[in-house]
Amino acid sequence: MDKALLAFLIIPLFAAVLIPFAARYRPRMADILANVTLLAGLANLAWLALSPSMIASEFANLPGDGLSLLLVGAIYLVGLCVTFFSAWFLDENLPNRPAYYSLLLVSVAAMTGVVTSTDFFTLYVFVEVLAVTSFALITTDESFAGVEGALKYFFLTFPASALIIVGLAILMLTLGSLSYENLRIFMSSDIPAGPVTFGAALIMLGFIIKSGVVPFHAWTPDAYQGAYAPVSAHLAGIVTKISGVYALIKMATLLRFFDGRAQALSEMLMFLGLLSIAVGAIAALRQKDFKRMLAFSSISQVGYIVLAAGLGTPLALIGAVFHLFNHATFKTVLFLNSASVERSAGTTDMDKLGGLEHSMPWTSWTSVVALLSTAGVPPLSGFWSKLLIILALWESGLRTYAVLALLFSIVTLAYFMVMQRKVFFGKKTAAAESSPEVSAPLLAPAIVMCGLIVALGLLFPYFYTYLKVVAERIII
Amino acid sequence: MSSFAMEWYLIALLMFIGFYCMLVSRSIVRQLVGLEIVSKAAMLALISAGYWSNNLVFAQALLITMIVIEVVVVAAGLALLVKNFRLHGSADIWKLDSLKG
Repeated sequence: MDKALLAFLIIPLFAAVLIPFAARYRPRMADILANVTLLAGLANLAWLALSPSMIASEFANLPGDGLSLLLVGAIYLVGLCVTFFSAWFLDENLPNRPAYYSLLLVSVAAMTGVVTSTDFFTLYVFVEVLAVTSFALITTDESFAGVEGALKYFFLTFPASALIIVGLAILMLTLGSLSYENLRIFMSSDIPAGPVTFGAALIMLGFIIKSGVVPFHAWTPDAYQGAYAPVSAHLAGIVTKISGVYALIKMATLLRFFDGRAQALSEMLMFLGLLSIAVGAIAALRQKDFKRMLAFSSISQVGYIVLAAGLGTPLALIGAVFHLFNHATFKTVLFLNSASVERSAGTTDMDKLGGLEHSMPWTSWTSVVALLSTAGVPPLSGFWSKLLIILALWESGLRTYAVLALLFSIVTLAYFMVMQRKVFFGKKTAAAESSPEVSAPLLAPAIVMCGLIVALGLLFPYFYTYLKVVAERIII
Repeated sequence: MSSFAMEWYLIALLMFIGFYCMLVSRSIVRQLVGLEIVSKAAMLALISAGYWSNNLVFAQALLITMIVIEVVVVAAGLALLVKNFRLHGSADIWKLDSLKG
């Protein structure tokens, strides 16, 4: 474990234990405790990363490898947005309100554990904790769709865990230990890498299933669509990214894809990345449901991260990490907006919606900012991460991949334009007539995230110095 | 046959049985049983790896942790199963098809 960030794991866990007792007679205490915990953590992180002395020294003395700090920041940010949104979104008479917040905080703690782990077994333990909290969170409202999504998620992630364990066993047999450091040292030596790569490939397969990359994406749209509305923002924004994609990026750095020691694995990962960009984007074009379309778009965006991780050069890894962070910002906005639409208009079926921009202007315009960032329109933050990924591909001589990634970026813009026209623009339908704008607290998380998207895009040079430090540290 | 090969043969066989059980059965309960067999095979793989790489103590420690996790995951799975049975009145996996597109 990375000791410097241990407090960010333990404090939410402690708060999660405390909430059921504190909120026994006053359910509102649960909202307050969860929000205060995450807000305090976020303020602490901001001070850790953005204090004047840290900026003056160009982030030279960051704790740990910098990547975990950035991702803990993303986790707390999305967690705070979701808890703040839930505080006003949940039904007053939801019977298990304290349990809901406890589970959210445990999942934040487990994600922190995932990104600060330094060996594969710790990673596995926290990924399992995260999966169990997700099953429970998806079924919060006890709907048909929620239970169905959770069951599909369960039956695909559990065999993936078994594959990861077999991979761990083979790694132990050939390497003698499970720490990241040993694998890194082994891969930078000249010993033939055969069986170790096989073990790593099994672990990677497990994490590919968990992150919903295309041949194994069956559970992703169902789980996101069926989940309770704020939970789907939590799941799509951060949970599956941390439990699957983060591990893939970590493996890419440990297996040293950039010096070609595990060439076959690297090529496989890049191919799956491109496949998932293509299939996700094309499937998103023909969706009828708002949330399901966002889920397919999420698969497509994960494809970009996996593609960059498969390439594994320093520039590609900067792009992958940045796109992971950006994905957390824009997907949270879009899913929270879909929750607002569901609350206000009573449906997420795109054929029944239309003309919501007149009655819900704030929701409409925050969606526009988020979708332009997803499609990679300058100067928003999504543009820079996609640019880095495509540049890295071009630089390594993979012109076909670069051109295809660029083309599907245009398809992204196309399906989001279709979505925007069907849901927010166009003629008012019957469902849109009686749908007022949601209250200000429900809009606040989306507006804050939009501010972040614009700010990261405009202040990109500063953020790039940070990311360069991260990439240098995780590759050496 | 050496005992190393024997162990891994058994592991592969168990894993195949588990996946076969998952593939052919329609009932969610049977699928859960299949999953359990798969994960038991994975555990055997870990303990065998620990023995043959002289890391038995470490492997045992990992395995006990893993059993605890397993219990929690299975409890969550059974809870989902019961919830699904109460809502749908059946435990047939092929009837879970209300979400598609």
